[in-house]
Amino acid sequence: MGRLNRDAVIAIVLLMACGILFWSTFSIRVPEYGQLKPSTWPRVVLGVLTLLSAIYLVQSLRRGPTPVDEPGRGDANSGDGAPGPKPGLIGWILYWRNPLWCFGLFFAYLMTLPVLGSLIGGVLFVFTLMGVLGGWNAKNLLQHAALALISVGGMWSIFTYGLGVILPPGEIFSPF
Amino acid sequence: MILENIGAAFGEIANLTTLGLMLVGVAGGLIAGAIPGFTIAMAVVLTLPFTFGMPATQGLATMVSVLVGGLSGGLMAGILTGIPGTPSSVATTFDGFPMARKGQPGLALGIGVWSSFFGGMISAVLLVTLAPQLARIGLEFNPWDYFMLVMFALTITASLSGRNLTKGLIAGAVGLLARTVGEDEAVGMARLNFGNDALLQGFDFIAVLIGLFAFSQLLRDVRDPEAAKKSLTEKGTIHAKIEHRAAIREIAKRWTVVVRSALIGVFTGILPGAGGSIANILAYDQAKKASKNPEKFGTGVAEGIIAPESSNNAVEGGALIVLMALGIPGDVTAAVMLGALLIHDVVPSPTFIAEEPVLAYSIFIAFFLATFMMLGLQSFMLRIFVLVTKIRMYMLAGIILGFCGIGVFAINNVEFDLWTLLWFGILGFVMRQFGFPLAPMILGVVLGNIAELNLARAMAITTDLSPFVTRPWSLFFLIIAIFSAAYPLFQAHRGLRIWTLLYLPAACLAASVPLFMMGGVPRPILATLLTGYGLWTLYRRWQGGWHLEASSQPALSE
Repeated sequence: MGRLNRDAVIAIVLLMACGILFWSTFSIRVPEYGQLKPSTWPRVVLGVLTLLSAIYLVQSLRRGPTPVDEPGRGDANSGDGAPGPKPGLIGWILYWRNPLWCFGLFFAYLMTLPVLGSLIGGVLFVFTLMGVLGGWNAKNLLQHAALALISVGGMWSIFTYGLGVILPPGEIFSPF
Repeated sequence: MILENIGAAFGEIANLTTLGLMLVGVAGGLIAGAIPGFTIAMAVVLTLPFTFGMPATQGLATMVSVLVGGLSGGLMAGILTGIPGTPSSVATTFDGFPMARKGQPGLALGIGVWSSFFGGMISAVLLVTLAPQLARIGLEFNPWDYFMLVMFALTITASLSGRNLTKGLIAGAVGLLARTVGEDEAVGMARLNFGNDALLQGFDFIAVLIGLFAFSQLLRDVRDPEAAKKSLTEKGTIHAKIEHRAAIREIAKRWTVVVRSALIGVFTGILPGAGGSIANILAYDQAKKASKNPEKFGTGVAEGIIAPESSNNAVEGGALIVLMALGIPGDVTAAVMLGALLIHDVVPSPTFIAEEPVLAYSIFIAFFLATFMMLGLQSFMLRIFVLVTKIRMYMLAGIILGFCGIGVFAINNVEFDLWTLLWFGILGFVMRQFGFPLAPMILGVVLGNIAELNLARAMAITTDLSPFVTRPWSLFFLIIAIFSAAYPLFQAHRGLRIWTLLYLPAACLAASVPLFMMGGVPRPILATLLTGYGLWTLYRRWQGGWHLEASSQPALSE
């Protein structure tokens, strides 16, 4: 076998995760009361998951490398019918750039939430996301700014004034 | 008593605020259902944060309205553009789109709308009549039975929701595992939190559901940069006026198709794991088989629209029957509805209808009223649908992700839930990409603590494990869980291996054992019928010389 197929790699990662989590169940405190120990159920589930991952690994190894794993080939599971990523890290990043932008910007939104708050942070997040996904030309900028302000501002108002939820104000707003 | 409860439930719902919210819910559901790539479950799960501040009846009525609207919204896109708005309306496009292209879009829409209405009505009647009966059976369940019921729900969902059973079961186990993080509910000890205090509260399962289902779906929708910049639909006939009278006439001539398809829908909904995506195809297939002119299917015949639309609207009635009676969600959408109930401190169980009759009947009434609202709103929403189709996918994704960033925080006022949303969004996206079905994982997350609590209760009664196989209901669920887990293997080998000839008779004979054990009159009769059918099938196959051709009929006929 020249190299592992993608499913085999996933199965190995799952088995490793099961090992780590199983090891961590030994640090669960066991009280002197109750028939079912707090660690029993996680261990049962981990046992089943380990068994299934092992079956998955065996199935994957028996199948061998598939065309899906070949660099530059389409992903059978992606379902969008588009050709797969080009070989190399740059090709992979270019192929997945939109989801990566979404993850990255949402991560940035969460990191800046204590400072910017949900209103300013939310508007900036939606505006920036639309910009990177849809382009930055003048017409788009205006459209995206209006959409971000109306949508986030509207939702913020509904939650704050309609439902009485105190959303994170952020350090910029909190002095007021 | 029932009339009193219905009257009280009407009193709860029949106020301007609730009815207004229901109208907005149905309208939102219709639009969400009409947008390709936007599923009903996604619409319902995104509505959850709005409802937590409302009284239980109002919040649940709103959620039910979104659900009913979503079930019917898919037909607009399917008939006018040929692109099904939801997986539940895939079969509607087979004849709906050709009929629209033949110059009868108004009739096609009318047939779709009225079939949805009748399907919903039949399902609502069954919901009101069957749920309390099923709840009575549920009262017989002990912790062992409940534990096995959860296991059955997970295995059948895993076996029905993907091509690879192992991946489905892994997804279910990952869901169960995700629910074990944090303090355990029985004794309050910290588990799998790696010393992180934020993880002590565990993952909020609404944040997990939104992350797994909505967040990951949106990322998938914008994966292709060019497709993300296009309008939601760029083809098809958009302008049409619904022809109500002609549609009712067409349906009245084919009322048997409506009733049969609605019953298929309700049955599919009751079955855990099987939802509208299966029911609409199944009903279409049955309508085609029963038709005198099956060759005309696919060219724009009325039955081809009536069957899928009656069945997909009836599905949720079936799923709600099981949810309300037993507290077990039949599909992802019902799992989200369970989340809505839990947010309002309502825990569905066999005693739910007896203990909270007004709330239970409010849900039934909301289902009825929302179906009427759907009928009235369709014509108006058709115009909105035209506007919505001009929106570009990346804009929709941006707005919804922005909403997630606010709405998820609002559920518990905890920032950690937003991180949960992000991590589970990534996990859901990766799982979809690698071919792992999400439905078993979602059921695992929702049912994880129910399974553990019942296991703990069973262990508290006795540490002996034998009741799992000696109690009739537990044994029954164990047997059907084993056979449902083996079903994909049977499907893959039928007509190729001799053992597949024994699958159906063995399932019938095995399932009859616990039914005999239950005692009484109807169940042993049912067991006798099952045994007789199993033995008769065995005899037929023996007579046929165990020829594999004997079993190579379509899977659904069995």
